[in-house]
Amino acid sequence: MNDFQVVVDAVHKGDIKTAVAETQKALDKGADVQEFLDKALIATMDDVGENFSKGITFVPQMLRSAKTMQECMKLLASSFQEGAVKSKGKVLIGTVKGDLHDIGKNLVAMMLEGAGFIITDLGVDVHPDKFVHKAQEIEPDIIAMSALLSTTMPSMPLTIEALEKAGIRDKVKVIIGGAPVTGKYAKEIKADSYGSDAGASVNLAKSLLGLS
Amino acid sequence: MVKRTQYPRPAKGRTKYFKLNVLPNNLWLNIPAGDTVFDALKNHDVDLKSECNGLGKCGKCKVRILSSIEEISQDERNFISQEEIDQGVRLACRTPVTSKMVIQIEESPSDSEYFQILQTSNTSLFQLDPLIHKQHVFLTPQFANKGAATLDRIKLAMGPDYDDLTASLGCLASLPEKLKQTETQGVAVLHEKSLLDWQNWEKLGHNYGLVFDLGTTTLVGKLINLLDGTDIGVKSQLNSQIRHGTNVISRLQYVKDNAAGLDTMHDILIENLNDITRGLLEAAELSTNDIFAVIAGGNTTMQHFFLKLPPDGIAEAPFAPILTDGIQVKAVEVGLDLHPEAQLFTMPMKSGYIGGDLIGTILASGAVEQEDEIILGLDIGTNAEIFLGNRKRMLTCSAAAGPALEGARISHGMIATAGAIESVRYANGKLHYRDISNIKPKGLCGSGLVDLVAVLLKIGVINKEGLIVHPKENRKKKIFSRVIDHDGVNSFIVATAQESYHNKPIYLTQKDVRELQLAKAAIAAGIEILISDYGIRLEDISRIYLAGALGNYVNPLSALQIGLFPPVNPDIIVPLGNAASYGTSMALLSKYYWQLANELGDSLEHIELSSRLDFNDYFIEFLDFPSSNF
Repeated sequence: MNDFQVVVDAVHKGDIKTAVAETQKALDKGADVQEFLDKALIATMDDVGENFSKGITFVPQMLRSAKTMQECMKLLASSFQEGAVKSKGKVLIGTVKGDLHDIGKNLVAMMLEGAGFIITDLGVDVHPDKFVHKAQEIEPDIIAMSALLSTTMPSMPLTIEALEKAGIRDKVKVIIGGAPVTGKYAKEIKADSYGSDAGASVNLAKSLLGLS
Repeated sequence: MVKRTQYPRPAKGRTKYFKLNVLPNNLWLNIPAGDTVFDALKNHDVDLKSECNGLGKCGKCKVRILSSIEEISQDERNFISQEEIDQGVRLACRTPVTSKMVIQIEESPSDSEYFQILQTSNTSLFQLDPLIHKQHVFLTPQFANKGAATLDRIKLAMGPDYDDLTASLGCLASLPEKLKQTETQGVAVLHEKSLLDWQNWEKLGHNYGLVFDLGTTTLVGKLINLLDGTDIGVKSQLNSQIRHGTNVISRLQYVKDNAAGLDTMHDILIENLNDITRGLLEAAELSTNDIFAVIAGGNTTMQHFFLKLPPDGIAEAPFAPILTDGIQVKAVEVGLDLHPEAQLFTMPMKSGYIGGDLIGTILASGAVEQEDEIILGLDIGTNAEIFLGNRKRMLTCSAAAGPALEGARISHGMIATAGAIESVRYANGKLHYRDISNIKPKGLCGSGLVDLVAVLLKIGVINKEGLIVHPKENRKKKIFSRVIDHDGVNSFIVATAQESYHNKPIYLTQKDVRELQLAKAAIAAGIEILISDYGIRLEDISRIYLAGALGNYVNPLSALQIGLFPPVNPDIIVPLGNAASYGTSMALLSKYYWQLANELGDSLEHIELSSRLDFNDYFIEFLDFPSSNF
């Protein structure tokens, strides 16, 4: 039984009110922030992500859980600044040029954020140069690209080329996803990996960075 | 090479087998001597009509015996006319296989026939004034000897309205020969003030046109009589472009990836259309030279393929096509095999994803010919095209529903052909389903999927969030025994192995429900945006028209129960038949509607959903199933 079971259940259900109140209680009692973050929030979102991959949890429920987690995180924010907890890494994310699909990319961003990554979201219809400029500016660990149309998929290798030209391809891991995208395609265009859904993206990002 | 099942040679003294050749499928079956043709076909899964299941009581299992036959039995005489007896017609259940036999059965309903159910007739609801017309002309002989030019003689004879009559070089060159045959009176084939041909006066009563519905999956051709608006024949076939992609996006991709891709797409399409044309003309005993008018409509990509216009812009944002105008060219320019002067009209379009098919649907709905009512219309396919309004203002959008409602990406989904479960209801603790052609079910088509999920929502097998559940308190209910656990995720058994055609269970999986949720949420969100942009309330909508195959077969109540539409009175939901094709015919049959279609292309207000931030909010809101009960 998890010490933070009430929070865990509340995040699962997307019950913001209970989750926030219980988080405050735990902090007031002097709970270890890192432990709370790992066990109450991140582990729960991992579960949510896994259930999403299986189809048990769906988009609205996952969004509510993610939103609940975000609200709890706000209470932990002061601890972040004091260096009590570590970020897992920086992710630069966007939907590629020519493609306006937003939802899948947003889900991935939320799940990664929920797992402890710091996210910079470039939005949709992102030109390869824009990925490059932002990557040069923030030096992310991972660049995540999304495409929902087979006709916009070719923007992915173009972006990878642009990263190569700018000389920063080997400084980042590139992950890709979206309905028409496959693991095979990721290999073909020399991306580092492919995630089949928002739930899978978390484990993918962690394993690429050598995190458990 | 096709691998055929090897049947063991019958050993001596054991059952004797005879070959049964079944046409038109050209099946060769090995049948134990003495079995009836009915048993033989049933045992080999060949579809045959029957209500009494071989008892000789319904007279439905008629087949034609092409090989030598025995005397007809008394049982059969009750159902078979003398004329049929003479043609070798017998009842399959009363005909034993006693020698090598060749039989002809009715073709099982194919896709094309299924879609033909959607045809509507062009009754005289509107004033006929076709784009191509014929006029009876008397040539006054006195001008013949005064050195007047042939074209001028025709102009004079036709009166002052035709002072500015023109004719193509080809038509002019053929005039002397044709005038010689017709002498003093003939028929001018006209497109506005342009002479297309000069014919014998007897051809006055013949004016035919072709209407092509350029579907991504199915191509439909109609031969219509331009003089009275009736359909003479309808023929459809699978679009052979399918070999280069089942949907518009994958075909656009093919064109992008292959240098000759556009040529290939265009040529395949034209070949299909010429095949359809030949079939229609043969059946009507007409020749290609009898056709002077053809009109075509489809989605914007298909219309680009048809005209061999590079469609690349449609493939990615901002989805810009080359052409949205309705245009008129010579049919020969696109490769259609018709009279050399035949005129081709292509339907006006609005945008990359609002094509001539939707404009046709709007025409057919009558929504833009009145301003008292606000009409909502939907043509549901991989993209759901939606329109809302009336003559004063008409909004459209195209929502990416995905292929779930066409049975694709569903574990046991299929298109609406033989064996597809098309409707489901729940009564007395049991599921009852009806499948197309009444054979054992093979899978679920769109309308069956919508029905099934609506039923399961009502019973509580699926909850509001879309989860397939198996609550403890409900275990007593027999229906819940069909919920099974697959590795922590539930599936619902629609048909057991025994109940199904392929002897394998048909499941509705959790992922299938998710696919349906995505599809219906996209459509519901599109509708919501149109309503909110129009600035009306839901109650202001007087009627909802449904077009396309799904629209005509889906149960409106089930569609409401799963939240495909906002909660309206189900009585206002009306199927519209094959509205795109009907509207396209209207444009060929009436200059008024051709004009109106072109005006619509300009006046429609198109809302690009992918650039709307609120679309995502609505979409997510509508992913859950509605809680209200109907």
